[in-house]
Amino acid sequence: MIQNLHVGLAALGAALAVGMIGGRAADVVGRNPGSSTKVLVQSILAIAFAEAIVFYVLFLVR
Amino acid sequence: MLLRLRALLVPVLAIVLFISLSEELTVALATESKAAALGTSPRAAEQAASPASSTEEEHGVSQKAVEIGRVFGFPITNSMVVSWIVALSLIIFVQAATWKMKQIPSGAQNFLEWLVESLYGFLEGLLGRHLVDRTFWFFATIFIFILSSNWLGLIPGVGTIGRGHMTPHGFRINQPFFRGANADVNLTLAMALVFFACWIFWALREIGPLGFLKELFAPKGESAGLLKVVLVVVFFVVGCLEIISILFRPISLSFRLYGNTFAGENMLETMANLVPSLGWLIPVPFYFLELLVGVVQALVFMLLTAVFTLLMCQREEEGSATPQH
Repeated sequence: MIQNLHVGLAALGAALAVGMIGGRAADVVGRNPGSSTKVLVQSILAIAFAEAIVFYVLFLVR
Repeated sequence: MLLRLRALLVPVLAIVLFISLSEELTVALATESKAAALGTSPRAAEQAASPASSTEEEHGVSQKAVEIGRVFGFPITNSMVVSWIVALSLIIFVQAATWKMKQIPSGAQNFLEWLVESLYGFLEGLLGRHLVDRTFWFFATIFIFILSSNWLGLIPGVGTIGRGHMTPHGFRINQPFFRGANADVNLTLAMALVFFACWIFWALREIGPLGFLKELFAPKGESAGLLKVVLVVVFFVVGCLEIISILFRPISLSFRLYGNTFAGENMLETMANLVPSLGWLIPVPFYFLELLVGVVQALVFMLLTAVFTLLMCQREEEGSATPQH
């Protein structure tokens, strides 16, 4: 039961982070379309790091 | 362009073969650890371990690919069948499209050239000219293979044709003959591990073993005196953390793709069974969502692997570019 809560909270946090990163990236590209590729790289990386938290939790929770 | 298409063919064949081979190797190993690794409840883990005998667990798709037969005692799962179908049809399509190449392309050749050229342009903008020439074969193959297997898994009949049994709620399929290729963690893990090997090879070739260690542990930027001593220690600790995060990359890559594909199939199944009389209508919007997810996940896998490669290999290029200024 408590494990499910752990995974759920981690997923919630990661989802919020991914949403914020994506939203801000879209914001920046809208303001400065020329920087699209550079922003894409940064945001993809940041999203990957945010998402990794869920995988850590999935493996650490028993 | 014609030359490039031909040059692309050989690596495509090689990587597809290698991926299916490594998939066979990992299929036996990963089935044991997967149920435990996913952190599921004991009941779900039991179900994953023996999906054929799960008569009371009637909801959703089984978490692992179901064995549908054995060749010389070697298990063949339904996901492996679909991945072979995808690989074979890609090989046949590319061969047919480039069989008689024309100066002014049309039809299949035109489509293939458009696909390869736009992928090449996209990756060139990301990785730069030097790196994309050496690594394009891998990223294009990964993208095309994941995209086609994701979309092939959406064709009606995948997951719904197979051996089953009668239940009080109607006929239930236990052993579907086909299952989305990426809905099996073995294939995605195999692709991630292939990338990991390629990544190490590219990094060693581009920056050398010494540069590899320097990239991980050496302090970046200019500093002097006591600050330098502190920074050396700090960057050593950062390097240790970096190694952990690098080792987690194949795991997160494979589980991201597997999780998205498996969740998509599960959702389609649930939506089809939600209202028995409207089973033909309710999944339709979700099919469009799954088409989108198929593209996005293929793109994400390709982009992440490309960015990981870029992060490790770009230092040398910057170093060689600075003296010109």
